[in-house]
Amino acid sequence: MMSDAPEVSKYVTLVSSDGFEFVLLREAVMISSAIKGMLDPKSQFAESRTGRCVFEEINGIVLEKIAEYCQYWYKYKDSPNVPDMDIPVELCLELLQAADFLGLDRQA
Amino acid sequence: MYVTLYSTYVYQPARSIRGPQSALTDFLASQNISAARIRADAQARREAAAAANPESNTPAAEQPEQAGEEEDGSDDVVSGTSAAAAARRARDQKRRKQEEAIEKIKKSKAYKKRKRFLNSDEEDDDSLALALFNEKMTPLPGQMANCEMCGKRFTVTPYSRSGPEGGLLCNPCGQKLAKDEDANKKQKKKRVPAPKGGMGRRKIQSRILDGTYDIGAKPLVTLCIETLAKNIHLADDIGDLPLPVIDRIARLLSKTRLLNSRTLDLFLQPHHDDLKVYDAAKLNSDDFIKIFQLIPRLKKLKLRNAIQFTDRVMQYLTSRNMSLESIYLHGANLLTEDVWAEFLTQKGVHLKELQVYYTDKHVSDKTIDTVSNMCPNLTRLKICHNQEVSDEGIMFIAKLNKLEHVGLQLMKKTTTDPYIHVVQNIGRQLQTFSIRKVSDVDDRLLDAIHENCVSLSKLRITDSEFMTDAGFARLFRGWKNKPLSFLDLQKCRHVDAANPRSNEHMVGLCSQGFEALMEHSGTGLRYLNIHACRNIPRHTFEKVFANDKTYPQLRYLEISFCENITDFIVGCIFRSCPNVKEVNVFGCMKVKDVRVPRGKLLVGVPNAVGMRIEGVDDASD
Repeated sequence: MMSDAPEVSKYVTLVSSDGFEFVLLREAVMISSAIKGMLDPKSQFAESRTGRCVFEEINGIVLEKIAEYCQYWYKYKDSPNVPDMDIPVELCLELLQAADFLGLDRQA
Repeated sequence: MYVTLYSTYVYQPARSIRGPQSALTDFLASQNISAARIRADAQARREAAAAANPESNTPAAEQPEQAGEEEDGSDDVVSGTSAAAAARRARDQKRRKQEEAIEKIKKSKAYKKRKRFLNSDEEDDDSLALALFNEKMTPLPGQMANCEMCGKRFTVTPYSRSGPEGGLLCNPCGQKLAKDEDANKKQKKKRVPAPKGGMGRRKIQSRILDGTYDIGAKPLVTLCIETLAKNIHLADDIGDLPLPVIDRIARLLSKTRLLNSRTLDLFLQPHHDDLKVYDAAKLNSDDFIKIFQLIPRLKKLKLRNAIQFTDRVMQYLTSRNMSLESIYLHGANLLTEDVWAEFLTQKGVHLKELQVYYTDKHVSDKTIDTVSNMCPNLTRLKICHNQEVSDEGIMFIAKLNKLEHVGLQLMKKTTTDPYIHVVQNIGRQLQTFSIRKVSDVDDRLLDAIHENCVSLSKLRITDSEFMTDAGFARLFRGWKNKPLSFLDLQKCRHVDAANPRSNEHMVGLCSQGFEALMEHSGTGLRYLNIHACRNIPRHTFEKVFANDKTYPQLRYLEISFCENITDFIVGCIFRSCPNVKEVNVFGCMKVKDVRVPRGKLLVGVPNAVGMRIEGVDDASD
């Protein structure tokens, strides 16, 4: 991973502002246009080399939900009939802001 | 078989006449086997068996009844004692009576009904008949019986339940049984829908028709907005969300009719200059005034179902130091003509967009006159479902020389000339020209558009009964305008109830017009609606959507009630339009079974399935 060769790791790490880390499938986080941009090898961002994305504005509780959503999206990628994911009401506004920030507002 | 039989009958007239024979009988006869022979053989076999082991009892099922009786008789002789014999005879008699009763039951209607209901096979026949027999023998209400479960003696009532083995139950036991059954039922009900997840077929079909059907999970933003809208009563403030997100929340709230005085406050942010309320039906006049008080910098206002947007509100708006640039009012029927005029006179200079929907009396020709004099900067004018504006009002529109978008749907009958006047005067800069339900407008308007319009991207002319195929062809052939992106010519067709089939004068969009329009705009069209243009022939569709033609921009195609659409043509459409999302084919009776590519919608196929999408089919099969 330290070499310049194209990213071999299938996994990436998302880090919250309070230090929680979530290891996710690279393909699963591609739903977020923001994270996709960060990890794009052409972007020359540090994240694209290390595979670690640190979010200073998102706390662990919200980022956990984001991580859960990424897996949920990946799991149901091609299925026509998808059950809705459960969103806790108290997290709703914070999560909405984070989702908007990460570009989770359209179907892939 | 029957023929040969008949011929033998003819050649041997001495043979006795019989009823029709079964095929089996004929076959057996040809093998030299007769019924008498079979009977004799069976008798011999039975006797031989009886002689071989007289002690053993052959199973009852194989034993014919007569033989059984004989055996009973011989038993009688062997046992000898008369008391026992009498008892046995009594039991036999009882059993015979029961058998007779069962035979009777088997012939009864109730038995046949029950049998059909249970759909039982032959083996169950006897047990079913026996159950019915027992049922008949159960004690009637008022009599005493022993409970099947606890064995206690109790009085039978009409409400006594029968137990699992057919006997009656006493009241406490019956209640217990009922409770258990209820619990079972509930468990079953819960278990059935759970594993399906997501939604049922009905819901899916509903979403396909709504155009909100997609493969894969919903975006997280959508999920959050849905949760938020469901729990809007808990929210005090929706905070600093971006405008598109706020707009989506507003839409969703209106859809569920949750927008009222209280929830309106969430959307009144003083630093915004844009407010869209999609369902203002629950707001009163004071709420509307509150909008202007709280958002002094408001520039764009959109209110649907704004019934209580009354004179008082409009006068308040007129008196404030505000300059709205865009007004969209839907259903504001209580606004009078005078107050409209007052507002337009005072504030008309700032107005760039004016959209008025669903008014009955008070937006009239006079109002349009005021608009044309007082709103020189207007670029968009839309008047829909209006019951007052007539030809005279349309003429005034021609004076608005900055106008780029015109949309009219007038309930009064209009003629061709005012529209021509508008197109001749301001046609050059028009980008949108949309007129609906113009049954009397004819080819001259099409010629005027051909000559004057060069920047149109959206064109809509619906329900014309006079425009001809030649007119449409003239419009599109050699038109200087760039390809249109939106075209709606629905119901431009010949209507004659007395002679519906013939169309001598080629009224409506037919072969040449359709070819010319696809030739001109095919490359740019994103939306095409030729609903009920039923005189376009099959070969034209085949030519337009031929192998070598592609229409890469087309997203939505409405070809309902075009009679000549076939399965083949729909297939060609999917081939020629690689990016098409939805094709509507309601009432195309020749469309029967088309393979729909994955991710595309074909809506309205006239079969029991109705509409479908490929991929769903695979998953369910």
